[in-house]
Amino acid sequence: MSQQSDTLSTARPYLLSAPALLLYVGVFMIPLIMTFMLSFYTFDITRGGILSGFSLENYTEVLSDSYFHKIFLRTFVLSILVTVFCVLLGTPEAYILHNMSSRWKSICMLAILGPLLVSVVVRTLGWAILIGSDGLINNTLMALGLIDEPIKLMFTMTGLVIALVHVLIPFMVLSVWAALQKLDPMVESAGQSLGASSFTVLRKIVLPQIMPGVLSGSLIVFALTASAFATPSILGGRRLKVVATTAYDEYLGTLNWPLGAAIAVLLLLANILIITSYNKFIERKYAQAFK
Amino acid sequence: MSFLHLEGLTKHFGDFVAVEEVNLTVEKGEFISLLGPSGCGKTTTLQMIAGFVNPTKGKIFIDNQDITELKPSKRNLGIVFQSYALFHHMTIHDNVAFGLEMRNINKAECQERVIETLSLVHLEDFAHRFPRELSGGQQQRVALARALVINPEVLLLDEPLSALDAKIREDMQIELRSIQRRLGTTTILVTHDQSEAMAMSDRIAVMNNGRLAQVDRPHRAYEHPGDNFVSNFLGKSNTFKGQVKDVSDGTARINASGVDFLARNDLFEPGTTVNVSVRPEKIQFCEPGKGQIDGSISTRIFLGNQWVFQVDSDIGEFVVVGQNTGREVVEEGHKVGLNWSEREVRVLPMENQA
Repeated sequence: MSQQSDTLSTARPYLLSAPALLLYVGVFMIPLIMTFMLSFYTFDITRGGILSGFSLENYTEVLSDSYFHKIFLRTFVLSILVTVFCVLLGTPEAYILHNMSSRWKSICMLAILGPLLVSVVVRTLGWAILIGSDGLINNTLMALGLIDEPIKLMFTMTGLVIALVHVLIPFMVLSVWAALQKLDPMVESAGQSLGASSFTVLRKIVLPQIMPGVLSGSLIVFALTASAFATPSILGGRRLKVVATTAYDEYLGTLNWPLGAAIAVLLLLANILIITSYNKFIERKYAQAFK
Repeated sequence: MSFLHLEGLTKHFGDFVAVEEVNLTVEKGEFISLLGPSGCGKTTTLQMIAGFVNPTKGKIFIDNQDITELKPSKRNLGIVFQSYALFHHMTIHDNVAFGLEMRNINKAECQERVIETLSLVHLEDFAHRFPRELSGGQQQRVALARALVINPEVLLLDEPLSALDAKIREDMQIELRSIQRRLGTTTILVTHDQSEAMAMSDRIAVMNNGRLAQVDRPHRAYEHPGDNFVSNFLGKSNTFKGQVKDVSDGTARINASGVDFLARNDLFEPGTTVNVSVRPEKIQFCEPGKGQIDGSISTRIFLGNQWVFQVDSDIGEFVVVGQNTGREVVEEGHKVGLNWSEREVRVLPMENQA
């Protein structure tokens, strides 16, 4: 009797987590493993498309072709730029929000989080309307006589960065905000009473203590930018390809699924590598703030 | 001339009156406590002195200088916060050194003063630890060292001991007091704990509803409370409503529900309605019929060093406190007489609003 209940109580956590685990394995692990296997297959249009087997052909193609190098580099630069701007804009934004009176706080919170409720495609199309050569911004500036010809923003890195920062900044604000919530509101007063100016308090006391929030925010933003698809494909198009849009084109354009899979796997590996080393670096630098 | 001077200090938050017309003078080197229940305005008063809250009206002077408009960072005050507000990303050493760095004091002197202050609070061996690695009592000492190292004009303590457990709190009270005596730093302590205020301060300022109710030496405030609020907030009191019957030779006879109280007091005219009160520890038991009033013991509680009795009498319930002398005490349900000296009876005016 007691033995039976013992077995049951050890099994219970597994039983309870089984549905979630099955879902995770079914919708995440299996596709991931299949993509991984697919990346070792070969593609030959003359012999009927995808041929199963094991070959490193796709990887050598991606790693040796300067065309792909450029795309990976562009994606990396884009991710860095978007992350940097999100940190520079999102951190002060979260701090200002944190210090607002509660009524304004909820209004501004809604303004920041509201866009998350709108599909990223719709938001990006909005940006396309705004920044296009015949778009609102260019037309206004031309009408005001500030510029003679439209500023080129569509299909440029600048336009892409602007739109991605807008799309991803809520994640930055939210994670810095969470770190600020944990901060003892009295530490700022303490700093001031010891003779520090508001700016010094911010730089030497507040910022080091919210670094975990800045870190997790920037990791989310970096990872989401590196794998962003909708925004780069609408605003960057074929002229400004990133890794995600390239993989998509391989799958659905040339129908070379194995090559697309290899690109996706390489993106995943690069992401993991960059994120874990960045995480380690920051954690060491701000060791005390993480305890 | 006083060192710290609050002049008609007032703070309103919208319609809410947090602090109203507080006038207080503190001498150099004095230890004064702002004591009161939560919401009485004591913390707001402290925050106005610190500069975190702007007064609606009134002025603050330190050493004859008006500091009302000065930024907190320019006031040179040491503050110990209730939550300690230590900088968790810095070592103990860096926490304490922070105020000196802000004053651009050279490295060698800074180092010397940090170590000196840390040894004052017995933490010299912990300089390279981080706040999280220390116990609550130790963190408290770091907060104190951080506030003292800058040689503040005034040390402000905002309920600094409330987060500590009882035993450590008592030790810290004694230690804080002896450090303050040694350094001679003018100190203001905000607390809701009357025994803490009485144990540590030269004077206590009892606050109620945003106003100062009484400012006095602890013993005097306890023995001669100015009003009902102070009488009941500082220790316990047996208070009864009565009417002054006659006054002769400086002794008033006050009738409370048919029982006569004698009191050394001639401030009230016959016929005035007043409150009479007697402290629990000033009442002795005697044979029934031989005291001022008889009653029966309804409850008795043993607290180790003393006994607390609740006694039912004709005019209401009395609380009586007696030292534990090791002998047997009266049992619950027994009839006793209650006796007290007329010197121990306090007469206080009726509260207008009550």
